[in-house]
Amino acid sequence: MRNRAPLALTVGDPSGIGPEIAIDAWRRRKEFALPAFYLLADPDLIESRAGSSSLQIALVAPEEAEARFSDALPLVPLAARLIDKCGIPDRANAAGIIESIDRAVEDTLSGRAGAVVTCPIAKKPLYDAGFRFPGHTEYLAHLAERHGHAAAMPVMMLAGPDLRAVPVTIHIALAEVPKALTTELIVRTAAITANDLRGRFGIAKPRLAISGLNPHAGEGGAMGREDLDIILPAVLALQRQGIDAFGPLPADTMFHPRARATYDAALCMYHDQALIPAKALAFDETVNVTLGLPFIRTSPDHGTAFDIAGKGVARCGSLVAALKLARQLADNEVTTA
Amino acid sequence: MNVKVDDAGERPLIALAMGDPAGISPELAARLIASPRVAAAARLVVIGDRRILEGGAKAAGLMLGIATVESGVIGPAASPVLIDLRNLDPAAVTVGEATLTGGTFAVENFSYALRLAEAGQVAAVCYTPLNKKAMRFAHPGYDDESRFIQELLQLTGRIKEFNVLDTVWNARVTSHIPLKDVAGQLSREAILAEIRLTVDCLKQSGVEAPRLLVAGLNPHAGDGGSFGMEEIDIIGPAVNAAVADGFDVSGPLPADTVFLTALRDGYHAVLTMYHDQGQIAMKLIGFDRGVTMLGGLPFPVCTPAHGTAYDIAGEGIANPLASEEAVLLAARMATAAHNRGGSA
Repeated sequence: MRNRAPLALTVGDPSGIGPEIAIDAWRRRKEFALPAFYLLADPDLIESRAGSSSLQIALVAPEEAEARFSDALPLVPLAARLIDKCGIPDRANAAGIIESIDRAVEDTLSGRAGAVVTCPIAKKPLYDAGFRFPGHTEYLAHLAERHGHAAAMPVMMLAGPDLRAVPVTIHIALAEVPKALTTELIVRTAAITANDLRGRFGIAKPRLAISGLNPHAGEGGAMGREDLDIILPAVLALQRQGIDAFGPLPADTMFHPRARATYDAALCMYHDQALIPAKALAFDETVNVTLGLPFIRTSPDHGTAFDIAGKGVARCGSLVAALKLARQLADNEVTTA
Repeated sequence: MNVKVDDAGERPLIALAMGDPAGISPELAARLIASPRVAAAARLVVIGDRRILEGGAKAAGLMLGIATVESGVIGPAASPVLIDLRNLDPAAVTVGEATLTGGTFAVENFSYALRLAEAGQVAAVCYTPLNKKAMRFAHPGYDDESRFIQELLQLTGRIKEFNVLDTVWNARVTSHIPLKDVAGQLSREAILAEIRLTVDCLKQSGVEAPRLLVAGLNPHAGDGGSFGMEEIDIIGPAVNAAVADGFDVSGPLPADTVFLTALRDGYHAVLTMYHDQGQIAMKLIGFDRGVTMLGGLPFPVCTPAHGTAYDIAGEGIANPLASEEAVLLAARMATAAHNRGGSA
C-alpha cells in the first residue's frame, strides 16, 4: 500500500523560487485539486518566505501529512538549517538542500512517501560545498544504489498534456551528440521508457516514435548516415524485443497533432529536439519525470530562477503539474504492481 | 522597374503558378481565387490549365469565377485572371503520385510566372506546393526552388530561404547538411552575413526597424560553456559585431524558448543554427499557416511551407490558410517595394 502515501516535496535551492512555488501551490490546493504532499524544509525559512500574508504550517511526520493538508502546509523539518538569502545562492545551504533530497528518497523507498517531487537546485553552490554529481538526476540514481538497488540508468522524460518526449542524449554539446549516440544507448533508453510507460503510466502497449538525427531523417543517407547506421538498427532491435517502436522519423514533422496521435512517447536524439516541441506545446505545464529509478520522481521543468526569487512573480504551474503527475504515477504503480 | 499594380493602383498583381497537380495544389489555387482575404490584398494572375483548375474548384466545392486572358495581355480588370497554358489534360493526371507529366506541368507554370515577374508584368510570384521527385523527372538536376530560379533567370546573387510564421521570420545558418557538420560550419562571418541578409529582406518587406533574436547551438545555449563553446567563441561575438554595426540583434538564446520569446516580444526574425532547430518550432506553432519566402531576388517569391499532401488529394479538405498567408506576404512585400518606388 506504500503508494497511497503522500508525496515528498524537496525544497530545492532556498535562494531560488522553490519555497515560494511550494507555498503558492499549497495555498491554491483546492483550485488545483492537489494531492497531499509534505515539504522537506526548514520551518523558519518557509515562514520567512511566506511574507506578510499568514501561512498555516504544521510540523508533521510523513504519516500525518495527509490529515493536515487541508488546513496547514505539512512540513517535515530538516536537521540542517537553511538561511534565507533570496536570489543569492549560498554554499552554506548545500547541506540542507541535499538532506531534503536524501530524506525524500529515503521516505519514498521505505513507503512513507508515494513519490519524490523535487524543486530546482543550482549546481554551483552545491559544487562549492563539495557535491560531485553532474546534476539532480545522477544524484538520485546514486541514492537508489546507496539504498541497495541495482545500478540504474536514469532516463529523463518531459511529460506534458500533449507530448511525452525522452531525449537520448541530454546535457552535452551538439557537436558531441553524433559521437555519443549508439544503437545500444537508444535501445536501452527506449526499453526503460517502454517499461515505465507500462508500469507507471498504465499504458499496456506503449508506442514509441523514434526521431532521426539529421534534417529529414537524413533523406536516405543524403544528409548524414546516423539515421540508417545507428538509429534504424535500434528501431529494428526494439521491434524484435516486442516493443512497438517505429522510425527514424523527420524531427520537424513528428510533433504535429496527427503525428502525435500515433505514439505514446517520442524518443529524441538530443536535448533541444525534445525540449523545443515540449516547450512550444506546453510551456508552463511540462513536467520532468525521471524514469528507470526504483522510485517515482517528478520535478517542474524550470530552474531556480534566482533573478525573480522573492518577487512574487514565479508561477507554480509546472510544480502543480509535477505534483499531480507524481500522484497519478504512484497510483498506477499500485494498480499494476 | 515599377511594379505592376491593378487599375486602382492599390493591389499588386501576383502571379500564382499552379503546382503539382497530383496533390492538393489544384484545390488550393481554386480556394485562393475565391478568398476574400487574397482579393483584398492582391490581384491574382493564375498560371496553369483551366481544366485542372476546374477540377480543383470542384474538389473544393467552389464555383470558379475567373476570366481567361491571352498570354502577356493581363488587362486592367479588377478581378483575378487566368493565363491558360492548356498544358495538362486532367485524364493524364495520376492522383497521389509524382509523375513526369505532373512535374512538367508544374515546371512550365512556375517558369512562366517567373518570366512574367522578370519582365515586370507582375510584382511577385506565388506557387502552390511542388513535388521534388516530380520536379526531378521534369527537370533533371533539379535541386530546390532557389537553384531552379537562379538558373532560369541567370541570377548570380545568393537566394535565401526564409520560413515565415505570422510576423516572425526564421532564417538558418546551415540547412540541409548532416548534424555532425553543423558546428564546423558555423563562423562569425557566416552568422553576420545571415543577420545582414535577414535585415535586408525584412526591410524589403516593409519592416522599417527589424529586431532579431539569434539562437544558440547547444542545450541551454551552452550554459556558460558547460555544454559547448560555440556560443562563447562564435555566436556571441557575431551578435556583438552586428550590434556594433547598428543592428538590433540579441542572443545567443536557448533554442527551446527563442521562438516563444520572439512571438511574445514582437521580434521580426529568429536566426537558427541548423535545420530542425527552427523547423520543429515553426511547424509546431503554425503547421497550418507557415510560409516559405525566397529572399534576395528582384521580386518576392512565396509558397506555403507544407507539401503536396498526396494523401488527401481531391478530398476538398486541404486547409488554404498557409497559401493565403503566402499571397498576403508577397503582397505586403510588393506593396512596400512599390511605395519605395523601386523593385523588391
